[in-house]
Amino acid sequence: MSTIAWKKHIKRGLILTSTPLILAACADDAESDPAGEDTPDTEENAGSENSGETVQLEFWSFWGSGPRRETIEAIIEDFNNENDNIEVEYVYQPWGDIWTKSLAAIAGGNAPDVIVQDINSVRQRAEAEQATNLQQFIEDDSFSENFYPQLWDTVIYEDEAYAVPFNTDTQVIFYNKDAFEEAGLDPESPPTTWAELEEDARALDIQSGDDWEQIGFYPRWNIGPDVWALNADEGVSWFDDEGNVTINTPEKVAALEWMLEQQDHYGRDTINQFEAEFGSGVADPFISGLVAMRGQNLNYYTNLRENAPEDLNYGVFRLPEYEEGSGHWTWGGGFVLEIPENTENPEASFEFLQYLTSTEVQERFGMNSFDIMANIEANENLTSHPDLEEQGQEMYQMAQESLETTVITPVPLTAPDYIPLVNAEIDAAFLGEKTAQEALDAAQESVENLVEQNQ
Amino acid sequence: MKNADTSQFKKAVEEMKSFRRKKWSKRKKKDAWWGLLFVSPFIIGFLSFMFLPMLFSFYGSFTNYNITSQMDFIGLANFRQMFTQDQLFMTSLYNTAYYVAFNVPLTAVGSVFLAVLLNRRIFGIRAFRTIFYLPAVLSGVAVYVLWMQLLSPSSGLVNTALSWVGIDGPAWLFDPEWTKPALILMRLWSVGGAMLLYLATLQNVPKQLYESAEVDGAGFTRKFFHITLPLITPIIFYDIVTSTIGAFQIFQEAYVMTEGGTGGPSNSLLFYNLHMWNKAFVAFDMGYAMAMSMILFIIVLSLTFINLKLAPKWVNY
Repeated sequence: MSTIAWKKHIKRGLILTSTPLILAACADDAESDPAGEDTPDTEENAGSENSGETVQLEFWSFWGSGPRRETIEAIIEDFNNENDNIEVEYVYQPWGDIWTKSLAAIAGGNAPDVIVQDINSVRQRAEAEQATNLQQFIEDDSFSENFYPQLWDTVIYEDEAYAVPFNTDTQVIFYNKDAFEEAGLDPESPPTTWAELEEDARALDIQSGDDWEQIGFYPRWNIGPDVWALNADEGVSWFDDEGNVTINTPEKVAALEWMLEQQDHYGRDTINQFEAEFGSGVADPFISGLVAMRGQNLNYYTNLRENAPEDLNYGVFRLPEYEEGSGHWTWGGGFVLEIPENTENPEASFEFLQYLTSTEVQERFGMNSFDIMANIEANENLTSHPDLEEQGQEMYQMAQESLETTVITPVPLTAPDYIPLVNAEIDAAFLGEKTAQEALDAAQESVENLVEQNQ
Repeated sequence: MKNADTSQFKKAVEEMKSFRRKKWSKRKKKDAWWGLLFVSPFIIGFLSFMFLPMLFSFYGSFTNYNITSQMDFIGLANFRQMFTQDQLFMTSLYNTAYYVAFNVPLTAVGSVFLAVLLNRRIFGIRAFRTIFYLPAVLSGVAVYVLWMQLLSPSSGLVNTALSWVGIDGPAWLFDPEWTKPALILMRLWSVGGAMLLYLATLQNVPKQLYESAEVDGAGFTRKFFHITLPLITPIIFYDIVTSTIGAFQIFQEAYVMTEGGTGGPSNSLLFYNLHMWNKAFVAFDMGYAMAMSMILFIIVLSLTFINLKLAPKWVNY
């Protein structure tokens, strides 16, 4: 063969071999995640469990920075050191991506071994066969007793567990003690009923001309109408235990009416203006002293701890009772640990999961993050933990109290996407287009219609 | 023009036929293979990432597919639910249509206007062009967050500027009457991309046409409406077709600017794709979401078809 012919062949060969390479590179690009996370294939670990080799586990969460990340990494390191045959790798996935990404990974058969998931949709994933049934690994019936009962309830689908609760939160009200004193209120006896709350709020309001210098309390800031509604309705959310739609009950209508009165008091424009400013994160209105009482998750404490000046004298109280004796009902969310369907080493994963939800580890995670943990004993220990500052201990005492009346509202399987329907009606009420009764009647009808569509 | 089109089409068909009939020389065959090889990245990419998913989606729209556990054929149930039961389907369709109806013409007018302004030989024109093009380069979440601050009812720059001329600005993103106008306004900010296209076309308009018009005594307006505008209609047409398709796909803005895709006050920003996303990834009702995407596909396809049909009436080639 002549050299020219050779060169031609080599050229052609090069092009032919490089094309698939380029294509493969493109394909990889399309699949790889935007954060550039390295996600090794779990298949590599197939079958290694029984051969005495190390089982590799991949653990996904959205704790990307700060104390949560540091703590979870330290916890994983300890776990890896204690367990010769299991090696857990921590993979951070951004909050906005983690669950759509894991869904794609589960559908594609390369899911992580353990993942932090939303507590409200466990049943949905169990039904759709996205999560492994964990009942087979739970040897001890008393395992569930480690956790708050309302949290454990969320992980049960058709009488079997599909996740283990990890942490939770509860909505409470933070108040400025100095502002209480200035308004002539007793800073040590915060309001316990809605009527008292309103009364104290009026005492705390400071208005000069058209401008508000201090807002006593506006209920819709950081606590939704859904929470006030369930507080008024003795802990029954938009759906009762049997799954019936309970949106337009008299108590909930009354709760919405009360919220509308509070809006009228300050004026819609005032509220909009302040909301836009809070939204752009200029300054925390509670820290700056603009609002004297503010609804928040209890975990807001970490924010105050980091950002509030030393002399901000604040306290926290439970969501007041609608009427005396109706109960300090409030709402919480949280996260669970799940083992996706069709992973290689569910048994080893469950071992890791048990470790993460053990009292000792939960205590450690809570102490560093001020999260309310799902493990009851861990929270109990934290209420008097010698390594915690006094105010930190008080937060856990508040958590213990508030959790007694904290409702978790998992999305109903018959209406997983009901929220926009209810919110639109409530917005209409706040815009003055509908009365509370009309709005909740309409919401009741819309959601019942949605339930019907899904049955 | 239409005749030219059909004759070209016939010619192409003839060529295709002869392509099959003709016994090819070795040389030609080889060239054809090389040709295919070089377009193969596109063909493979198109087939695997566009065409097959579309077929899958088409089939999926007749099922109760939920991504992980079920995919049973349920006939037209998804479509029936869409048009008879799902209240939010109509809301989202209305919101999207509203957005398209205002966004497409306004951006077209805005970018032509801007292009005409920037098509001058004055000092520093390059700097101006760059400045007006810049917003088109910036995109995504950062811009939306910036606009949320600009549109803030009391302290935002937009309302501050309005107050200088005595207008008490609306609550923008907090008032369902104003959320969509706010978004349309925001999109107008980035007309620079289309402006660049128009600018290039404007510079191709033959100078002698203007010169002879001037000799005949035509002023600026006359020259613009009788020379400039007719000669740039092909680009206006292209711009309108592509921006209509783009506008129907609005998603990111609403997802970012309403809290995590809840649809904003009174669902006024619940756009079609946002509702579809909620159905797919919140309710895991992927079959329904696929059915929705098919309807959107049909809507966009028909609009594009109408555009193409109307084009000979106003587009000058």
